[in-house]
This record gives sequence, C-alpha cells and structure tokens, in this order.
Amino acid sequence: MDIALTLRLAFTTTAVLLVIATPLALWIANGHNLTRRIVQAAVALPLVLPPTVLGFYLLVGLGPLTAFGRLLIRIAGHPLAFTFAGLVIGSVIFSLPFAVQPLVAGFSSIDRNLIDTASILGASPWTVFRRIVAPLSRAAFLTSIVLTFTHTVGEFGVVLMVGGDIPGLTRTLSIAIYDQVQDAQYAAANRTSLGLVALSFLALLVIYARSSTREASLE
Amino acid sequence: MNSPPLAPLVHHHLSVDHRVGALHLHADLNLSAMWTILFGPSGSGKSSLLRAACGLLSHRGIRFTRHHGDKAEVLQDETTFVPPHLRALRWAPQSDSLFPHLSVHRNILFGATAAASKPRDEAEIIALFQLAPLLNRLPRDLSGGERRRVALARAFAAPGCRLMLLDEPFAGIDRALRDNLLPAMRAWLRDRNIPALSVTHDVEEALQLQAEVVLIRDGRIEAQGYASNVLAPERDRLMLSLSRP
Repeated sequence: MDIALTLRLAFTTTAVLLVIATPLALWIANGHNLTRRIVQAAVALPLVLPPTVLGFYLLVGLGPLTAFGRLLIRIAGHPLAFTFAGLVIGSVIFSLPFAVQPLVAGFSSIDRNLIDTASILGASPWTVFRRIVAPLSRAAFLTSIVLTFTHTVGEFGVVLMVGGDIPGLTRTLSIAIYDQVQDAQYAAANRTSLGLVALSFLALLVIYARSSTREASLE
Repeated sequence: MNSPPLAPLVHHHLSVDHRVGALHLHADLNLSAMWTILFGPSGSGKSSLLRAACGLLSHRGIRFTRHHGDKAEVLQDETTFVPPHLRALRWAPQSDSLFPHLSVHRNILFGATAAASKPRDEAEIIALFQLAPLLNRLPRDLSGGERRRVALARAFAAPGCRLMLLDEPFAGIDRALRDNLLPAMRAWLRDRNIPALSVTHDVEEALQLQAEVVLIRDGRIEAQGYASNVLAPERDRLMLSLSRP
C-alpha cells in the first residue's frame, strides 16, 4: 500500500516537473541577465533549506490563512494539506532543483551555432527544440528524470509536514520506515529500507551505465 | 536549360551601423549581382555582416530589405524583425556546425525535414559535393574538408532559398576540388536564380568567381565592383609581398 502510494507520488511529481522544468531550464539557459540568475537561485533554494522549513511554509501557504491557500481551497473544494494533491505540490517544489539543474547544464552545453544554423535553415523554435536541443540533451533529461524520481521517493520532511502520516493516503515508504522503527518493528523497517536502497541504486546505475556507454561511443 | 539570367530576380539591401565588440560596422550593401563576395582581412567585419543579414545581431542600426520588382519586403529595421527561420536565407557557417547526432544524409536533408517538404534535387546535390560515399557517417568521423562540403550541401538542399550565404565556403577544401566545385555551385545557383553572398579573404577565389566584389576594411566598404578591377591593387600587393626576399 505504502509502496504503491510512493510510486504514484514519484511518477506524478516527475511528470509534472518535466512539464514545468523544461521551459524553465530553457529560459534560464538562454540568457545572462539578473532576472534569470534570481530565478535560478530561487529554484535552487530547496537544496539548502531544511525540508521542515519548506513544509511549514507549504502548510501555511496551502491553508486558509493566505489568499493563495483560500483560492486553492475554493478550486479543490477542500484544504489541500494532508491530501495527495498537497503532497504532489510539496514534492514538486522540493524536487524542482533536481529537475531543473541537470536540464540547465544540458541546454547550456549545446553549441549556440547549431541552434542559429538550424533556424536559418528554416527550422522554427519548436522544430529546433525537437530536432536539435532535445536529442542532444537526452542524457540531461535522463539525469533529471531519475534524480527527481528517486529524490521524491526518498523525501521525508516535506511529506511529513504537508501530508501528515495518513496510511494509504499520505504515508510514503520513508515515513513508513520511521513509523516501523517507532513501533520497534525492526524486521519490517529493514525490509522497507532494503527496498528503497535497491530502488535508488538501480536508478543511479541507469544513469552511470548510460553515461559510460555514451563516452565509449564517443571514443 | 534556358540561358542563365545575368541578374537575380530578387535583390537584397543591407545597411548596418552597428558596434560589434571593438569593431564599428558601417556599411551599405546592395546585393543585385548573382554572386557578391565580401572580401577583406580577418576581423574586418565580413562575418558580422552575414550575421546581421541572418538576424543574429541585436536589432539596432540594421536595415535589411528584399526587393522583387516593385515590391519591397522589410526583413529588419527599427520596428520590424522577421525571425531568422522566416527569412528564406540559407547559410553555410564558417564553423560548419553540422548537427553531431545526425548522419551526413540527415544533415543534408535537415532543411527539407524542418520545412516538412520533399528534399529538393537531393541526388544532384549529393553528386555535386561528392558526398555519396559519406552519407551514413556521423560528422565526428569526417575530415575538415568533408565537413565543409556537408555544410555547403546542407545549405544548398534546404528548400525555399532566396539568398545563399556562404561564409568562407572553401576553407579546408583543397585547391583541385575547389576548382571543380566553384563553377558547379555557381551554375547550380544561376539555374535556379538564387543570388549568393559569400565571404572570403582569398584573392584567387574571388577572381575565379568573376563576381561583384565588396572590399571591406575595419568595418567599412572601401571599394565595390567587378572582381578584377577591385582586386587589382590587392593582387599587386600580394605579388609584391611574394617577390620580396
């Protein structure tokens, strides 16, 4: 039950972030002005903040105390805190830098001349993205997806703050481990932990295996 | 084939008053010949003029228009900016800039793919640039001269061209091959009434093309006219420097 919920959260978060992070990373990578640097710093903020700080602000932000929270409540019909939707919002913000940074690095490393040449040969910006930028950023996309996914699977603080610990609704694997240890169910905690270690290792292996075949094919 | 036209049906006019780094470009360029050559030393602003035409320089101080009979179309001025992909220019940049993830064949077809149209004269272009044995290779497996030929073929094969821009088209290509390619490329463009603007600092190449030559120095046009007239002093200077001990 917990694992299904965790995977559902990780898949949803990764899908939402791919849609948000791609245009954001393109915009950040395509210029040098101060606004872009400010946005880039704001995007990276979840890397350095304690998850509890973020979770606290989210809890307040999603609640009826703020205009934004009231708007969300009106749209959803109920408060988002302690729901799956609230969990997704929290995860998306918390994992944003893990999705955006690899893409910014990938997009920035593409030779500007290739993009200029493609557009002069008649390719629209969308075609340039589809035929040149995206294929040349495949490794960056993979890194972004795997990091976002594993990071969402492993997050604890934000999920606990925003989601509470409701079995079947907001209790993810990382929180289940905490509960199992609290209840002195060490064998169960061990199994869950081992599962998480295996999942994360596998995901990282995918990235490294891919980057090494890439290097080999470039030689 | 009918006798080739002596003048293109479409004229372009480019005027640039623009600072690029330390260089102040100040030039008024009328492209009414079938082939115009920008001639000048490195750093004189030749490539920047091409970039200005392509819409790759910031907007201020650039005016670029296309004339077809009585009709004038503004591609760029103080208030208008047609984005590069809608200017119907085709170019072979100095840096080659072949798409590294695409085979030679797919590179050549890029313009047609982007326009979602059928490739134009594909077989003829592959033969013209002698690329048949290289079609399945990736750019990283090519020599400098081969890359250059692919970049040229890619520009020629892109459909809808109104002006061909060639930045140092024969850099890295050996002389014998250049002597083959040059007349063939000129004939190909003439047959389709596509005017060309190329950049070079090679006197021989300019004389061989018998084109309109625009002599550029320090961002300004020093002379413009028939190749053998404009480049006569240049040739004499070259001969003199060669004959000195």
